[in-house]
Amino acid sequence: MKLNVDGLLVYFPYDYIYPEQFSYMLELKRALDAKGHCLLEMPSGTGKTTTLLSLIVAYMKAHPLDLTKLVYCSRTVPELEKVMEELRKLMNYYEKEMGMEQNILGLALSSRKNLCIHPSVSKEREGKVVDGRCYSLTASFVRARHAADDAVPICEFYEGFDAHGKEFPLPPGVYNLDDLKEYGQTKRWCPYFLARHTITHANIVVYSYHYLLDPKIAEVVSKEISKSSVVVFDEAHNIDNVCIDSMSVKITKRLLDKCSNSITILETTISNMKENDSKRLEKEYKRLVEGLRDATIARETDMALVNPVLPSEILEEAVPGTIRTAEHFVAFLKRVVEYIKTRLRVQHVVQESPAGFLRDIHTKVCIDRKPLRFTAERLASLIRTLEISDLTDFSPLVTVSHFATLVSTYTKGFTIIIEPFEDRAPTVSNPILYFSCLDSSIAIKPVFNRFQTVVITSGTLSPLDMYPKILDFHPVIMTSFTMTLARQCILPMIVSKGNDQVAMSSRYETREDTAVIRNYGNLLVEIAAAVPDGIVCFFTSYLYLETIVSSWYDQGIIDQLQRHKLLFIETQDAAETSLALINYIKACDNGRGAVLLSVARGKVSEGIDFDHHLGRAVLMFGIPYVYTQSRILRARLEYLRDQFQIRENDFLTFDAMRHAAQCLGRCMRGKTDYGIMVLADKRFSRADKRSKLPKWIQEHLKDTNCNLSTEECVQICKRWLRQMAQPFSREDQLGISLLTLEQLQSEEMQKKIQQRAQGV
Amino acid sequence: MDDYQTCPKCKTTKYRNPAMVLMVNACGHALCESCVELLFAKGSGACPECKCPLRRNNFRVQLFEDPAVDKEVDIRKRILKEFNKRQEDFPSLREYNDYLEEVETIIFNLVYDIDPTNTNKMIDNYKKENKDITQKNRNRQSQEEMELEVLLEAEKAQQSEKANLYVNAELEEKKQKHKAREKLIDELMFSDADAKSIVASHVQATAALAKEQPKAAAQLSSGVVKSSKFSSGVQIGLRGQHTNSFLPIPKQEDLPLYRYTAPVFDYDGPPPPPIEKLGKLNYFANIRAANITERAGGYTEAMSCCRALQEALGGLFYSPQLTHKAAVLATNASTPDTDDMETT
Repeated sequence: MKLNVDGLLVYFPYDYIYPEQFSYMLELKRALDAKGHCLLEMPSGTGKTTTLLSLIVAYMKAHPLDLTKLVYCSRTVPELEKVMEELRKLMNYYEKEMGMEQNILGLALSSRKNLCIHPSVSKEREGKVVDGRCYSLTASFVRARHAADDAVPICEFYEGFDAHGKEFPLPPGVYNLDDLKEYGQTKRWCPYFLARHTITHANIVVYSYHYLLDPKIAEVVSKEISKSSVVVFDEAHNIDNVCIDSMSVKITKRLLDKCSNSITILETTISNMKENDSKRLEKEYKRLVEGLRDATIARETDMALVNPVLPSEILEEAVPGTIRTAEHFVAFLKRVVEYIKTRLRVQHVVQESPAGFLRDIHTKVCIDRKPLRFTAERLASLIRTLEISDLTDFSPLVTVSHFATLVSTYTKGFTIIIEPFEDRAPTVSNPILYFSCLDSSIAIKPVFNRFQTVVITSGTLSPLDMYPKILDFHPVIMTSFTMTLARQCILPMIVSKGNDQVAMSSRYETREDTAVIRNYGNLLVEIAAAVPDGIVCFFTSYLYLETIVSSWYDQGIIDQLQRHKLLFIETQDAAETSLALINYIKACDNGRGAVLLSVARGKVSEGIDFDHHLGRAVLMFGIPYVYTQSRILRARLEYLRDQFQIRENDFLTFDAMRHAAQCLGRCMRGKTDYGIMVLADKRFSRADKRSKLPKWIQEHLKDTNCNLSTEECVQICKRWLRQMAQPFSREDQLGISLLTLEQLQSEEMQKKIQQRAQGV
Repeated sequence: MDDYQTCPKCKTTKYRNPAMVLMVNACGHALCESCVELLFAKGSGACPECKCPLRRNNFRVQLFEDPAVDKEVDIRKRILKEFNKRQEDFPSLREYNDYLEEVETIIFNLVYDIDPTNTNKMIDNYKKENKDITQKNRNRQSQEEMELEVLLEAEKAQQSEKANLYVNAELEEKKQKHKAREKLIDELMFSDADAKSIVASHVQATAALAKEQPKAAAQLSSGVVKSSKFSSGVQIGLRGQHTNSFLPIPKQEDLPLYRYTAPVFDYDGPPPPPIEKLGKLNYFANIRAANITERAGGYTEAMSCCRALQEALGGLFYSPQLTHKAAVLATNASTPDTDDMETT
């Protein structure tokens, strides 16, 4: 249908629209008009993606000068594909309505591993290996060697692309990963480089978070995206963690040993080159003396090594004399690695600021801050000069060089933690150096500064006011939308005690208590008896899951459970988990019914939807707090407290509740769906926890359902399920939660929508 | 961890003898402690590997896994004592970098015994030429070191201060909570008032306290020096640019519901036209239209126009007679004072 959103003609590819989708469009349009950033929460299953796409495409068509590009960031490859499907639908609708080809080019970009069509390289399974082998076939010097000697292998697809692909841009249309591969096959062009090349002039780019947030990758891939773009981060409730991960470095003992090997390789290569071809080293040396930035860095295939963020004024400067010649630099690297090795030889945990580290490295091995800052850059230059084609071996050394550069660049917002052993295995020596970023705003700051509009959206962003604080930006619009429902199709309940009146809680003091464990078990058994089809349970950690299951086994609860449903368990092993999932789905499909025990923050809680009969009930056993004793977390909490005035408890609760909400949201994937949400912990009923749930869950969580016992909970479930089992057709929804164009345009509804938009 | 460390002389390993300590001397070859005692009983001797004459006193515990690094660091420290010119001593960065490279070459040569005669000559020459600067620089910290020192100091100060602050704040909070609870119980025990009303007033009091607390915390933390810049000069976040940050939606507190009561204005003037009609009456012709950014937040030009009109019309009916006398009196009273001041 064609909509009028605040004066903008929007083509919406469906015949019906949800009222909240329309409100979402209104808010989004305002943010685009204002060229500011916004934060929007809308429940999962209400069609966020298609709403976003149709509004932004319409806006691009109406204001082609103000808004040139949409960059849509998603988390996983399946999500990426889903976005592409929605986009395809939208473009087909445009074509049908306007009767001509649309001049819009949308494409998905993923890593080489997902896009490679080289017959042997694409067989590799590990991403890093694919990258390394690709580099060894396409690096500029390899190709130069091939020109001289045909025996040197190169990639024919890249050659094809290089020869012809750049002049012929991709014709307009929508390309997902498979389409790109197919197009590459027919033209004999490399789809990966084709996609990367096309980014600059595509209208819609869909890729992973990392291409924008990780400074090492963003520099290469997203450099040329213009300011007048809108960036969308979908499923962004974890965005702060992604930011932090992209700036943090972890160094283990094994990694350092590998570094030593790489350094020896460097040494031998240098001495070889000195004998055979000293000209190249001299050339590099001269360039460094002149202080010229590497001209070759622009060459697209030589991208494997990039600098982590450095202020540009430093990059303009010449490389310091101490690491100018190749031998000196290798000796320098050796010292750095040896120094870190000595630091790892600790007996107790050390926490240190970057400044302290810099002073120590200066006194111990006489390394100044300045050359340290240039380590990453210098290493990249050296590897390029030495023409080392097998990069996979060098990744440890590259990690260390990034660490060196980061530690000397940022003295605030980072901390260094050296742990001699893991907390859970204090006898096994396994020293690890964590260089941990504490401030999630550092990585995302360039994104906010560079693009005119950044949209952060997810089904669960509550409490909204936390994100502007921890990401340090000023949104022009910050809104949470609820779901309009024709019937009450979610039933959130807080179960606080068992039938024996013992309080249920995953608190540390009571979690070992057999009474609590038995009560949890009874709750699950009774719900399994009352609820049809699939039930998903979430525990706070793998460890807790295992202890509980083992004592349930002793208490005979597992036997009781298996009388009603089959039991599946998520484990840390990805393959095992996916097998369990397949069988879980099978059991739900054929009516046997199944229970899946999984872990909050695990794979199941983040990416897998249990729509309709796959998830009729979600049980959350305990509040999923993070492991609070972790030193990295402690350091981050301290930093948040000092820099942003966020109290430790506030942040911990915020983090726990967003994961709880994420788990609960798994069972609701649309308006025809229905599901029970049981929060089995006494502490959920406290105001500070309850108020942090997303609005769309909060509004159905009645006060009377906040302090239930197992028995009461089951009673309510039964009654509610009987209601839900009544036939439910589209006609019931029409006019309330589903609108036709006429209904949408009716004055009454417009008024309601306006109210909603302002009220929140 | 370092179980594979072996003494090259007696072949003892760290695994067999956990107390074994490897030592190195100027030549960069390792020896275990007991071998050192055995071989250098006289106080001096030759290195068993390179036959270099060594003194026992110069043996140190090996710090690094690779003894060559130990040797290099040793030499480096020695050389850097002499070659301690700073960037300030050079006219350009280029020359400073050349100097750094020269130093590096010297160290490299010494470590790998390349061309020892020339290298030593170079060192001697340098020593002679640059005696003054070397002497001077020895007593002076480099700029970088100073920067680091300052940073560390600041960190330390901040840490101790903050630790105190937060511990105190937490204690205080606990005490207050405890007090409040006791007070409630006391009241419930001894007062004759309705129990419900007592509980209600208690709830309100704690809510009010809770509201004050964040402010107090903010005040506490404002006392500590807050850094808004990285050492590289890049600003941390946006705080540096907008000192008073705003949030479009204030944080919700758990307080009793707010009830709106219309304020009574002492307006003293003709009523301005209502805000909805301003457009029709063509008031907007002379003012700047609100731009898009402002509109997004809900602002319209009618608001400021309406306010301006209110200000313009307000007080037009104000009659000075009522308060004139008081004003005159006030001025009269103040003038003699100033006269006195001048005369004295």
